[in-house]
Order: sequence, then C-alpha cells, then structure tokens
Amino acid sequence: MTETAGNPVRDLSQAADMIMCDGVSKWFGDFQALDGITATIKEQEVVVVLGPSGSGKSTWIRCINKLEHHQEGQIVVDGVELTNDLRNIEMIRSEVGMVFQQFNLFPHLTVMDNITLAPIWVRKKPRSDAEDMARALLERVGIPEQAEKFPGQMSGGQQQRVAIARALAMEPKVMLFDEPTSALDPEMIKEVLDVMKELARSGMTMMVVTHEMGFAREVADRIIFMEEGQIVEVGTPEHFFTNPTEDRTKLFLSQIL
Amino acid sequence: MVFTTDSTFAESVPAPAAPPKTIKLPPREWIKQNLFSTPFNSVLTVLFGALIFAAWRGLLSFTFSHERSWDAVATNLRLMFTAAYPQEQFIRIWVCIGFILGLAAITVGAYAVASRVRVHFLAERTMVFGGVIGVSGLLAPFSTSATVWYIVIGFGLLLPGIAARTQIDEEATLPLMGLLGIAFALPVLSLWVIPYGHHALLDGELIAEPGTVARSSSGPWTVVLIISYALYLLVAKVMNPSAQARLKRAVVGIWLVSPLFLVFIILRDPAFDYDHIASVQVPLFLAYAILGGALLYWLTKPGVGEIGRIVAATVLLAAIGTFLFSAFGFGGMRQIVRILALALAAFALLAPTFSGEQAARRRYVRVWVITVLGLVWFVTAANSPSTVATLSDWFPGGFSVTLMVATFTLILSFPLGVVLALARTSKMPIFRVMSTFYIEIVRGVPFITVLVFFAIMVPLFLPSNMEISQIAAVVVAYSLFSAAYMAENVRGGLQSIQAGQHEAAEALGMTGTQKTVFIVLPQALRASIPPLVGQTIGTFKETSLLAIIGVFDFLFVARTLIPTQTFFLGSLKEGLLVVCLTYWFFTYNMSKASQRLEQRLGVGER
Amino acid sequence: MSQIGLLVVVVGTMIFLALQAGDNLQARAIPTGFDFVGDSVGIQLSEGIDTKPATGGRALWVGMVNTLRISVAGIVVATMLGVVIGLARLSSNWIVSKIASVYIETMRNIPLLVQIIFIFAVIQTLNGLDEDTGPISGWFVVSNKGISIPRLFGLNGSFQWFAFMIIGLVVAWWVHRRRVQEQDATGAVTYPVLSAVGVLAVFGIIGFFVHPVMGFLGPVFGAMANLLGSISESLLQLLLALAALLLAARRIRNFLKSMSSGGGRAKLVDDDYFRMVFAGVGALAAVLVVFAWPGLSSWLLNSGQDLFELLESRFGSGNGGRPFDAKKPDLNITRFVNYGPAGLTLSPSFAAVFIGVVLYTAAFIGENVRGGILAVPKGQSEAAGAIGLSRGQSLRHIILPQAFRIIMPPMGNQYLNLAKNTSLAIAVGYSDLVQVGTTVYNQTGKTLPVVAIWMLFYLSVSLTISVIVNYINVRLKIVER
Repeated sequence: MTETAGNPVRDLSQAADMIMCDGVSKWFGDFQALDGITATIKEQEVVVVLGPSGSGKSTWIRCINKLEHHQEGQIVVDGVELTNDLRNIEMIRSEVGMVFQQFNLFPHLTVMDNITLAPIWVRKKPRSDAEDMARALLERVGIPEQAEKFPGQMSGGQQQRVAIARALAMEPKVMLFDEPTSALDPEMIKEVLDVMKELARSGMTMMVVTHEMGFAREVADRIIFMEEGQIVEVGTPEHFFTNPTEDRTKLFLSQIL
Repeated sequence: MVFTTDSTFAESVPAPAAPPKTIKLPPREWIKQNLFSTPFNSVLTVLFGALIFAAWRGLLSFTFSHERSWDAVATNLRLMFTAAYPQEQFIRIWVCIGFILGLAAITVGAYAVASRVRVHFLAERTMVFGGVIGVSGLLAPFSTSATVWYIVIGFGLLLPGIAARTQIDEEATLPLMGLLGIAFALPVLSLWVIPYGHHALLDGELIAEPGTVARSSSGPWTVVLIISYALYLLVAKVMNPSAQARLKRAVVGIWLVSPLFLVFIILRDPAFDYDHIASVQVPLFLAYAILGGALLYWLTKPGVGEIGRIVAATVLLAAIGTFLFSAFGFGGMRQIVRILALALAAFALLAPTFSGEQAARRRYVRVWVITVLGLVWFVTAANSPSTVATLSDWFPGGFSVTLMVATFTLILSFPLGVVLALARTSKMPIFRVMSTFYIEIVRGVPFITVLVFFAIMVPLFLPSNMEISQIAAVVVAYSLFSAAYMAENVRGGLQSIQAGQHEAAEALGMTGTQKTVFIVLPQALRASIPPLVGQTIGTFKETSLLAIIGVFDFLFVARTLIPTQTFFLGSLKEGLLVVCLTYWFFTYNMSKASQRLEQRLGVGER
Repeated sequence: MSQIGLLVVVVGTMIFLALQAGDNLQARAIPTGFDFVGDSVGIQLSEGIDTKPATGGRALWVGMVNTLRISVAGIVVATMLGVVIGLARLSSNWIVSKIASVYIETMRNIPLLVQIIFIFAVIQTLNGLDEDTGPISGWFVVSNKGISIPRLFGLNGSFQWFAFMIIGLVVAWWVHRRRVQEQDATGAVTYPVLSAVGVLAVFGIIGFFVHPVMGFLGPVFGAMANLLGSISESLLQLLLALAALLLAARRIRNFLKSMSSGGGRAKLVDDDYFRMVFAGVGALAAVLVVFAWPGLSSWLLNSGQDLFELLESRFGSGNGGRPFDAKKPDLNITRFVNYGPAGLTLSPSFAAVFIGVVLYTAAFIGENVRGGILAVPKGQSEAAGAIGLSRGQSLRHIILPQAFRIIMPPMGNQYLNLAKNTSLAIAVGYSDLVQVGTTVYNQTGKTLPVVAIWMLFYLSVSLTISVIVNYINVRLKIVER
C-alpha cells in the first residue's frame, strides 16, 4: 500500500468479494428500514456510507453483523451466508469487528480485560499471548499507558480508541464502524479518525457510517449514499463530492456542505 | 427548595446522596430558622416539642417503672440468645465470635475501608448524648440520688463535648478503627471491674449470684478483642499491597464458606466415623474428582462441539435419573452421589463457555475438584451426629437460630434468585413463563402460608427414604420464598444494563452464556446490591415468624417461655422490648451500611 | 429443543412429586379433598360475621371477610397516616421532620410480628372496659377489651340508598362534564367539582329522608333471578366453552393475520408462536374443565340466582326505612356485638393487628411519598414559577400530578404487603383466614386443601390490588400525556 492508499487510484477490481448484499429488506413493525439493498464490498476496500439520519445506514451495517435480522434478501460475508443458525452467527461475528457510536466498553473491566476477554474465551488464546497482543494494539492506537484503567476513568476519544483495539484484537477480516465519532467532543474526533486512517492504510476492509466528510473524501475508495432505506448513489469520492448525478444526493450535499 | 404548600413544608430538603454539609449558623440563628420561622411553625414546634417530652417521659416511666422486672430478662439472657446450648461447650461459641470478628477485622484491613472521623462530629454526638442523659434523669421516676447522678453524668459528657466542639479545629479527624477499638475496649474493661449479670437460671432454679455474666465473659471478650485488633493492624499496616490484594480475594471466599464451617464443625462438633469416611467418602471423592475432572478436561477442549453438548446433556439426564430412580426402588444410593452428579452436570453444561487453552482448562478442573471436596466435606459434616447434647433436635436456639436461618437463607436464595431472574428475562418463553409463574405466585401469598406449607407438607413430597429435619424444611421455605423477591431485584439490575453492552458482547462473537457470565451478570449484580441488601434485611425481620411455627427463636423465648417461669410469671413486655431493641439494632445498622454502600457504588468506577 | 427438554424434565419432576405426595398421603392416612367445606365442624371463632360457623366452608368464609375487613380499613388509615408522615418528613420545621424520621426508622426496623405481639401485650394490661377510663369517656375508650368507638351502621334501607346514590353519581358526573365544557367554552368560572359534590349531597339527603326511593328495583331483581333459574346447566356449559374457544380463536387469528406481509412478519417474535399455542391449549383446558365439572356451571347459576334473590328481598317491601343509624359504644358488654345496631368495639387482637399493620405500613408509605415528591425535578417548580403560576397552582397542576405518578406503583406494593401482613393475626388470635384455616385443618386434618384455599384467596387479593393500581397508573399516564 502506498501513502495515498484509500484514494481512487487503487485498483480493487481483481480483489475477492468480502461482503455481498442482495436485495436485503428489513422492517421494524410497519416501518420499512431497508428496501432491497444490493451492494458488494471487495477485500481491502474502504466504503463510507452517507445519508441523512433515519436513512437506514446503521441498520444495514448492523444487519451485516447480525445484530439485526433482515427479513428478505441475502447477505454473504467472506463466502458464508448469514442464516439464523446460532453457530453461523457466532462464527461471522468473530470475523467481523464492530465499533459503536457509544463505544460500549465493559465498565466493570479494565482496558486490558476489555481487550483480552474475547480473544481468550472466544478465540481460545492463551492469556499471555492475548495480553501481548493487547499491549501491541494499545500502542498502535496510541494509549499504551492506560492498560490498567477502567473505561469510566478515560476520555471519550480514548474510550473509542480502546473500542477499536478491542475489535482488532479478534483479528477480524472486516471492520464495521457505526458513527464512531458522533458521540465525541470535537477536539477528540481527530485522534479517533487518525487511528481509522492508519487502519485503512494497513489494508483492512472497512465499512464506515459517518458524517465526517473530510474522512470520506480522504480515505474512502467508494461512497454509498442512502436515503429511506435505499441506495441512491454509489461512486468514488471525487465523483460523489464534485459531480453527483442524483438530485437527492445534491440536495443532501447542499444541506451539509 | 422543591415544593412548598405553605412555609412549613420542604423549606430545605437535603439532597439524599450528598454528605450533610451544614452551613454554619450561630445557634440562635439556626433555632430561629428551623423552629420559629413563622407563627405557624412556632406553634408546631411547641406542640411537637411537648409531644416529644411526653413520649420520652412515658417511655422512661415504662422502662424504669417498679412493675417492670428486668431480672426476667437479665436472668434469661443466655436462654434468649443461645437457648439450650450446653454451658460447658461455650468455648465453641467464643471461637465462632472470635472467628467472625477476626475475619471482619481482616476484611476492613484488606479493603482499607477504615476512614477517619471528624472530631466535631464526635463532639456533637457526645453533647447530644450528655444532654439526653441529663434530661432523662429529670424525667424518669428515679430516686433523688439517682437523678443527681444522671444529671452529673450528663453534664460530664456535655461539657467536654462543647469544649471540643468550640476549641478544636473543624478539620481535625481521628482514625475510625482506633476509636472503634477504644469503644470495644471500654465495655470489655468494665467487665473486669463491674460484676454485671446477677443471675443464671439453671434447671429451673434461680441462682442469685452476682457477676456470673461478667466473670464468665471477661476473659474471652478480651482475647477476642486483642486478636481482632492485632489482625487488623497486621493486615492494614504491616502487609504490603500485593499481599493485601491476594487477601481480598481470599476473604470473600472465606466469608462464603465460614457459615457452613462454623455451624457444622465448630458449633456442632460432628462425631466423624473415620473408618466409614475412609471406606465411602474418600473413594467417592476420588472417583468424582478424577473421573469428573478428566471428563471436564476433555469437554473444555476447544472444538469439541456437538458431541460435547450431547455428553453434557447425558450427564444431566443421568443426574436427574439418580433422583428419580429412588422412586423405583433404587433408594439405597447415597445422597452425596446424587448431589455430586448434579454438580457435575452443571459443570459439564458450562464447559463450552470456559473452554480455552491448557492453563484455562486446568483451572476449570481445579475449581471442580475444590467444589467436590467442599460438597463431600459439607454433606459428611452435616450428616454426622453431633456430640453436643441439647434438648431440641436442632442445637442452636434463641437469637442464634435467627442469625443462622437468615444466613443460610441468604446463601441458598441468592443463587436461586439469580437463576430465576435469568430465566424470567430469557428469550425462551418456556423458561420465562415458568419463572414468572413461580415468582408471581410466591410474591402474591403471605409468607406464613408458605412456612406452614413447608413445615407440614415437605416431608410428604419426599421419597420415603429421604428425610429432612424441620429446621431444614424451614430454611428451604425461607430460601424459596426469599428467592422470588431476590429474583425481582436481580431482574431490575439485569434490565438496567444498556442494550449496547449486549451488542458489544455479541459483536465480539461471545455465546449467550459467555455474554451472561462475563458481561451481564457482573454488572447486573453490582447494580442490584442495594435492593439485595434491603431484601436481606427483610428476610432477617421475617425470621421472627419462626416463633409462630414453634421454633425456639428468641421471640418464642421472650413471649412463651419467660412469662411461664415461676419466678417471672407474666413478665412479657420486658423480654419483648429487648427483642425489639435487638432487631432494631441489627436492621438499623444494616440499612445504614447499605446506604453508605450505595453511595460508594454510586461514585465508584462507572 | 432445549426448551422442550426442560419442559419434559419439569413436568416429569412435578408428576413424580405429586405421585410421591399421593403415596405418602395414603401411607400416612392424611385425608385430602374439599368435602370438609360442606361438613359441619365445631369451631368457635372469636369474632366475625358468624362466630359459630356451621361448616368448614362457612368458617373459612368468615375468615376471609375478617381478612378483607382489616385489610381495607388498614389500607385507608395507613394511607392517611403515611401521607402525613411523608409530608412531615419534608417539613422545614426541624422537630417535625426529626420526629417523622425517628418514627420511620423505628417502625421499619422492628419486625411487624414483634410489634403486633408487643401492642397486644400492652392492650392486655390496660384497664377494664367498664371502668370507662377514656381517652374520651363514653365515646372513645381504650381498654383491655380493645378499642371502643361509636359506629355508623347500615340498616335495611341502606341498599336502596346506595342504589339511589349510584344514580346520583351518574347525574353528578354529567353535571361536572357540562360545567367543565361551559367553563372551557366561555371562560366563566363554573365550579364544576363543587356543583358535582352539591348534586351528590342533594341525592344523599333525598335518599336519606324519602322512603322507599328505589323499591321498584325489587321486582326487577326478582325477574333476573327467575331468568337465571330457567337457564339449564348444559346451556351455560356450552356458552362458557364457546366463549373460551372464541377468545382463543380471535387471539390466534390476530397473530395469523399479521403473518401475511413482510412488515407484519417482522413484528412476530418467537414468543408469539408460543402465545398462539398457549392460547389454544388454554382454551381447550378451559373447555375440558367446564365439561368435566358440571358442578362449576351449576354453582355459577345457583350463586347468581341467590344473589339476585337476596337483592330482591333487600329492595322488597318493608326494607325501605332509614338507611343509617349510629350508636355510642356499649361499655358493659361481656361479648362484642360488632354487627347489628350497636357501637363498635375492636377486639384486642383486631386492635393489635390493625394498629401494628397501620403503623408499620405508614412508615413505608411515608418514605414513598417523600421519595415521590423529591423525585420531581427542581426545574419543574422553577418553570411553573417562571410562567407565573402561584405556589398552590404549581403544586396542584405541576408537582403533585408528577409526584403522584411516581408514588403510585410502590404504593400498590405497600397495599399488597399490608394485605399479606394481616396474616400475622395468627400470632394474637384474630380470626383471619390463616388463623381460621389453621383451626379448620387441625380439626379435619385437611392441610393441603386449606393451604390451597389460602393461596387462591391471597393470590386473588394480590391480583385485585395490582389490577386497581395498574388501572390508576395507566389512567394517570394518559391524563398526563
């Protein structure tokens, strides 16, 4: 990967499919949250999902991790189709890392325990290996000295970086980010975005729901724009920000830029 | 100020959690603001002030009236607190008291909960206490000399209190543990000086011998106190932090096991039949420890998969089978075999949750072996005949039976309550419906009906070769009843956990059981500690119902035994007052402690 | 799968226990069955609507009435006392709030049973009733026979008066609504509550002095009784069965209907399939019960008929006199005449249980009230002040409605506890259901059936209280939003 990785110069047409969605629909009661979503995400690709609030971005990303169940259509992750079979779900989840808007760190465990819990009990790693890896990951996200603190003693930006380290500790093939900076104070957003940029450059397949346009422009291979549960427009950041085709996209961009 | 109808109500509502940070007002200002702010307020003050004095006077005249025969209580104190435990075995009770106080001292030392007390706080308490004693001397129907003594003592406390309050710096503090040590040491010292306790009622004969209580208890109390304080100092001041941390973990375990140990080994002094133990219990233990351990070692291997689940289910069916077989004539099986089979089934079912690499698997097997050892030891101890000869079939009585039932109820109902709460919040409707059904039925009926039902009916439901003593049936009734309430408290804790916690655990690929064990339960239990303490207090109060079904608890002694003794015919109210005070002392302190705990948890790491 | 496995295990264990119990019952010759309800027993009860009940069933009935009597009275008085204590706890007067908190800490921390026994012991050492030692001589006497007070009691005419008052209530409600509408429309102050109370008062006075006001209802009730008498048992069985099946079918159909669309399917969770099965099985079980025990249907018919016949006689001729009367307590009686035209003497055991549960529960209610009022955010009263409401208005329209909503659910819990706690009456010999039940099973040996009746009774009381409290909660929420 070069320094400019993540920009459209990258050719991913030969890469394997990582996530494949075909006609995915989901209802909450009578409200249809997803309406026939069809999209494919390649290995090492960084996709940013944009859209107004309530457009179904988060629902879609949560369906890929089986945190929500879709009622129609097909989702295939790394060649495995998501069904309601319990073991299938657990397998997929340990391959797919997820970072939440509200961090969702475990408040009763130290940072070290937060990161090593799943590798030890889900991946069945020896504790010493898991701890070594956790230290390396904390180094990578820039907070090596915080290992013995509790989440409640840290700032929001630090907590979110721990959450990223926790997801990475499972050595996932895909990382899903559900508005990772929305709950952060402005001065802490950069430290989290920096970690995410570094991750993108290292070749991780990423799917990011965010409102950070700068991040989308700089890092994304592709941008998917959603509204009312449907995919409205797909394209490179350059195409999307300078020359959108759909009226709804233009309206959205005019409102936020 | 929250709301105001007229100026009387809610002028200054203290925020419940905040420490009582009183704004300094000169006494005159304070009185004006809090007692005479408006005419209506002044009337209220005068009216209720008079009421207080009337009630106080009434209470004192009731207590110190010539009609009261406090001898009835003084003589029967031993009966009320230990019932018929033989006097020559009292050393066992002392060992228990020493053990518990020593353990408490170690706990306080290890957790470093000992804080400091403000001198001003102490001074205020002393002033109030002195004032109360002085005024009591004036109000109570004492002789003149006694009144003078009371007033002198009152002033003797009031004056140093005022001096300390005004002269010593406001921020000055004293160590709590030192004060507590002195507070315990003073009454113990007084035992050596003043011959308390004039009577002992033995075999229905009143022996009016002064000082029996003081003489028999001064030595043991002194030893207990010195040991406890020495242990505290050792742990808090001498030990290094890492040793303290290790001690913390051990202390929790010891607290859990010690009730069983104290009751069944120390108090009961079981007559172990060592030949029998060597030929039956030891092989049983070895068989379960080795074969069960091997099975669990295999089951915790990662990737055992489906076949592991089938094996675990088979073990469960076999375990249930051991209980059912007794109905078809295979009754000769030992109870411990069945209990261990059930335990093994539980461990086997949980094995996939704790599967991991070598070290983790070995640790799991180690926990299993310790569990087997504990169960075998406990069942053997409980089933061996006691060498302590008592009048009733159950050796403790009086207040000790109250404490014992409360403790065992807590130990038994807590796990059951957690299981019920998990079942009630489970996704599976059958679990949920059964648990809800149970909880709602138990919560809908008064405890006395459950108690009667169990005391009379439980023997009917058991296979003919199983027997259970009345007190065991009672403890089972208390536990099943209390568990339903505990379950509701734990459910509250479970529901207080945010959805994000579940999602994060699921997103990491944890199984449902792993999520519950590692993420949900630890947080839920912590959140439900205050209501659980409240429920424990409730159970403690509920133990008074033992008297209704004829267990020799201390309410029974005070109400039924003492008034029928020839010397104290009809002395009912004295004993009841002591019962009231004893219950009050324990529950009040428990609820205060739980409030403090709640505050600590509130500001803790969260 | 695991669910079915568990169900099998649990049902199996229950069957096993039941068989075991059956064997043991037979082996120990312990009788079961409810025939004692109709058999005559020689029980003497200390008080109640019938102190020498002829049958076991009648005795238990007396016990139930006693339990309800003390529970309802206790709930009313404990609520009043509790609210006063809760408010006193919030008082700015140091002495008042201290007294309230000392009261609360004392009452909550001593077991209720100990308190009841203590109060009983104190009452028993008081002066005799005939010494008439006050507090209010001749009117309110506390003695070792209990507490004697004057009493208002209903005469035969009271039925007609209550029926008349129901009409009065309807009219008052209507007037209230009209007045509110008028006030809303014109802005004029129309005193809706006052007018409604006035209407009620007018009805009450008319009903008190004009007799017989509702005598015409007698024949109507007679006709109802005849109608019920003419319905055959099998017809009712059929109707009940049909009703059960129809209810279940409607429920299942509602679920099935929502399965037709993708959106509807999303709404269905696993539980709903379980609920469908449950509804079906429940209905079938109900049908089975209805046809297996025809006695149930005929009992329903007979008791319905009895009720209307009773009402017919109450409203019939000769029962239209003055509805109420009152009397001072009779201070030289040897036995209590608590029913019929006489003053009221609460027996020592009643007084002990009553005072005990009231004082105990009031402490908890006081804490609820205080907590509820404190829980209304401070910003609410500030906001009310900011929009210019007076203190009284802010209290009535802003603070109390919110506090009430917070107070109500724990209040229901306390009422439930109070009702259950009256069972401690057994310790001082007040003839409540548990005490009577103990006597009955000691005589007949029918422990299991008596325990079953206890549980059913207390469960229905609990259910009733929680239904009422839930109803009030729901109403409050709707009113507020």
